[in-house]
Amino acid sequence: MAWPASSVPTRAAGPESPLLDPVLQALDPDRDRPADILHATGLTLGFGSKTVVADIDAAFPRGTITALIGPTGSGKSTFLRTLNRMNDKVPGFRRHGDVRLDGSSIFTPDQDLLGLRRRVGMLFQRPNPFPMSIRDNVVAGVRAHRIARGKQLDVVAEQRLSQVGLWDAVKDRLRDSPFRLSGGQQQLLCLARALAVGPEVLLLDEPTSSLDPVSTETVENLLRSLTPALTLVIVTHNLAQARRLSHRTMFLFDGALVEHGTTEQIFESPREEHTQRYVTGRIG
Amino acid sequence: MTTIGTGAPTPATLPGRGGRPAGRHSITQRAARILRGREEPAWRAAARIASIVPLGALAFTLTVLAVKAWPAIRVNGAHFLTGTDWRPGSAYGAVVRTHGVAHPAGSSYGAWALIAGTLQTSAIAIVIAVPVSVGAAFALTERLPGWLARPLGLAIETLAGIPSVIVGLWGALTLGPFLAQHVYPFVAGHVPDVPVLRYFRGPTGHGEGLLTSGIVLALMIVPIIASTARDLFAQVPPLPKEGAQALGMTDAEVARWVTLPWVRSGLVGATILGLGRALGETIAVAMVSGSVIAIAPNMYGNMTTIAATIVSQLDSAATDGTGFATATLAEAGLVLAIISVVVNVLARRVIARSSRLGLPVGSAA
Amino acid sequence: MTTPTDPVLPATRGRRARQWAFRAWALVALFIVVAPAVWLVAGVVARAVPHWRWSVLTTTTAGTGGGLENAVLGSLVLMAGVLVVAGSVGVMSGIHLAGMAPGSRPHGRVTAVARLAIDVLSGFPSIVLGYVGYVALVVGLHWQYSLLPAVLVLSVMVVPYIARSTETALRQVPAGYREGADALGMPGGYALRRILLRAALPGITTGLLVALAIAGGETAPLIYTAGWSTGLPSAALVHHQIGYLTYPIWEFWNYPLASARTLSYDAALVLMVLVLLLLVAARFVVARTQRHAEGRRT
Repeated sequence: MAWPASSVPTRAAGPESPLLDPVLQALDPDRDRPADILHATGLTLGFGSKTVVADIDAAFPRGTITALIGPTGSGKSTFLRTLNRMNDKVPGFRRHGDVRLDGSSIFTPDQDLLGLRRRVGMLFQRPNPFPMSIRDNVVAGVRAHRIARGKQLDVVAEQRLSQVGLWDAVKDRLRDSPFRLSGGQQQLLCLARALAVGPEVLLLDEPTSSLDPVSTETVENLLRSLTPALTLVIVTHNLAQARRLSHRTMFLFDGALVEHGTTEQIFESPREEHTQRYVTGRIG
Repeated sequence: MTTIGTGAPTPATLPGRGGRPAGRHSITQRAARILRGREEPAWRAAARIASIVPLGALAFTLTVLAVKAWPAIRVNGAHFLTGTDWRPGSAYGAVVRTHGVAHPAGSSYGAWALIAGTLQTSAIAIVIAVPVSVGAAFALTERLPGWLARPLGLAIETLAGIPSVIVGLWGALTLGPFLAQHVYPFVAGHVPDVPVLRYFRGPTGHGEGLLTSGIVLALMIVPIIASTARDLFAQVPPLPKEGAQALGMTDAEVARWVTLPWVRSGLVGATILGLGRALGETIAVAMVSGSVIAIAPNMYGNMTTIAATIVSQLDSAATDGTGFATATLAEAGLVLAIISVVVNVLARRVIARSSRLGLPVGSAA
Repeated sequence: MTTPTDPVLPATRGRRARQWAFRAWALVALFIVVAPAVWLVAGVVARAVPHWRWSVLTTTTAGTGGGLENAVLGSLVLMAGVLVVAGSVGVMSGIHLAGMAPGSRPHGRVTAVARLAIDVLSGFPSIVLGYVGYVALVVGLHWQYSLLPAVLVLSVMVVPYIARSTETALRQVPAGYREGADALGMPGGYALRRILLRAALPGITTGLLVALAIAGGETAPLIYTAGWSTGLPSAALVHHQIGYLTYPIWEFWNYPLASARTLSYDAALVLMVLVLLLLVAARFVVARTQRHAEGRRT
């Protein structure tokens, strides 16, 4: 079931008033920020001589879930991984165009890469817990960024594990290896780890493709509960998931952004024939 | 997240906007931040230094060798590579000068016997080690059950770690005399008098010499080649092998047509690596070669190699007041280093290429 | 893995003969590989054990007799030196080669040059390194036969080995660890210390132990750098000769005195036990992590 497009949070510009402004600011800290938290303009990506994604313009409204759909090789993952600069170290990676986070480019030389990744977190296709205890996994990022220390770490671990619904299952084995958890639990643990550093945007690269249907539903419900506090961008091969979960959908094909709109519009009344054929399962 | 530790915020307020740290930090936090600022540059510097140190060591080694060898190269000339005489001259006699380099009168160095000995022993070692290693690797991966193959494989790998001086000791005291008593006379008496095989006839000596050196070297490189071959065979995916078996091939034919072609370049690499080890081996050969600077008249004749000559002559070279004997050993070392390095780098490159081609492309790539 | 032999296949006799020849060759080859190994170990033990005295380990060498305490301790000191020098340089080089050092690029030119240097060094004959140590450090720098030149030469020998095993161990760390660390915004060095090195530690440890075994069993480069001493090793880095286990084996094995030969055999036994202990320890580390890794499978 797609969420009605009208429920997408939008931010109207408030009235200019020296008296009201501080109050409004306190009530809504995002008031002066752009409505789109992430904005890609003219983004062309490639490896070596191969162009993977060409000239994409896309905006991601604050507090929404955007699904990236398209066949394998359409450039979805490359595009997603560029949004927190995970491709930087890949040999031969090329980029033209820009991505702005809250209005400022994420590629400027003085951009704090580590700070960027703290604000823009990521969840991967396969759960990738670190080889340390469950508790240490949750607070790994918190420790690295020196957000909390000592006893506070235990508090963080409990909060985050509760938030992802894992606390009751693991509270008696916080010191155990995470590798004995089920695949779904491991992915929830990785989600807790990503949330623990307090990101504003979460990038998800087919986060449920290695999970069973029950775990998938758990993760989906959780992701839904993260909005509107967070902005989510999710790559998925599962069209039903895109439809269930997202407010907005982008359809990529062969490196081009074919269509971008509300999920309802993309699935119910696609403008492009390509999109129509993909969402009805006739190409892919 | 400034609220952490002061109580559990409701999940809804946990992530999201305002989640970035505000300016408030304790002194310890600030100190940690400064320390962390030091960690990255420290890693960077350490890695840079550590990658330069091997290069520096190599440059230093080559420079010392070249500088030390230069006078010898000038005086000995091409004769060094072709001559078979090795005369230090009289340590107490007159000093003469050639091309401005002082050396004892009567000294004349031709290293062909050493070079030939090095190549001969290594060739024998390879000829023995390769078929034996490949056969053993087949037995380990295809024929034996795991409970037997695993400990045997471990034993072979461990053999690679036995110090060469111990192998040499055993070769000189046990293996050499055994071969000279029970094997060599039999072989020498039964080999026909035809080219190549003729080299196996003649006096069989006491167990020191060319063939014993080659066998001892083979023993030392077998673990390298056999364990590499075993790992390579184990990496051949089962599907092509099963396909060949489904065609009704015998396991000999599967080995011949599927497994060996699949790992060929890896085997070549391992063989060259073993060759490199054999060329540079010093102590074991010095103990079983007979240490005679001459080309062995037959497979059992006493001889020596470049490496064995350096280790046994360096101390007496110091008695040459002109330093010419030491310089000549540097020249010999240079020749050995060039041969071994070319062989080794070749092997690394062959293996690197084969592991890219032969193995499935990993997800780490 | 046996192939069912089908009696109706054509040309069966020739194929069957080749089949049996192949199997026989494999088993005979295995015998030829394993038998000398057993014979060697048994031979060394058989020579040393009949005359074995435990006092060999507690007394120092006196001329061509006495014990080996000086040699055992000297070998341990040399290995400790190699662990410090080659261990630090080798592990850091391996991190660099794996492209995991902050600021290093696995395909960059600096890495390519470092890799070539390590390839060349690993092929360098140890006696030639010993020669260079002798003429440049012992004679040239007037360090004389002593600990420092010996440790440096041994370190140059084993650094390539340590660097490669470290690189391999780091490359085998699942890519997800690194991606996860990157995605959390962990600094490169921090992720290396807290996650990647920890995961690669067993492989690195194994490489270090094997490198120590190699260094401890070396003879040729030590003869002209460490010298030989019948006294216990001191803390002096230069100007003081030092004993080591391979020296009596090499020097006394064909000495015309029975006591000297006994010392040679004893040293061979002690050295072999020492080296095998190191190799078994290395094995043990690998085996333990393999068990661990199996538990990890999801």
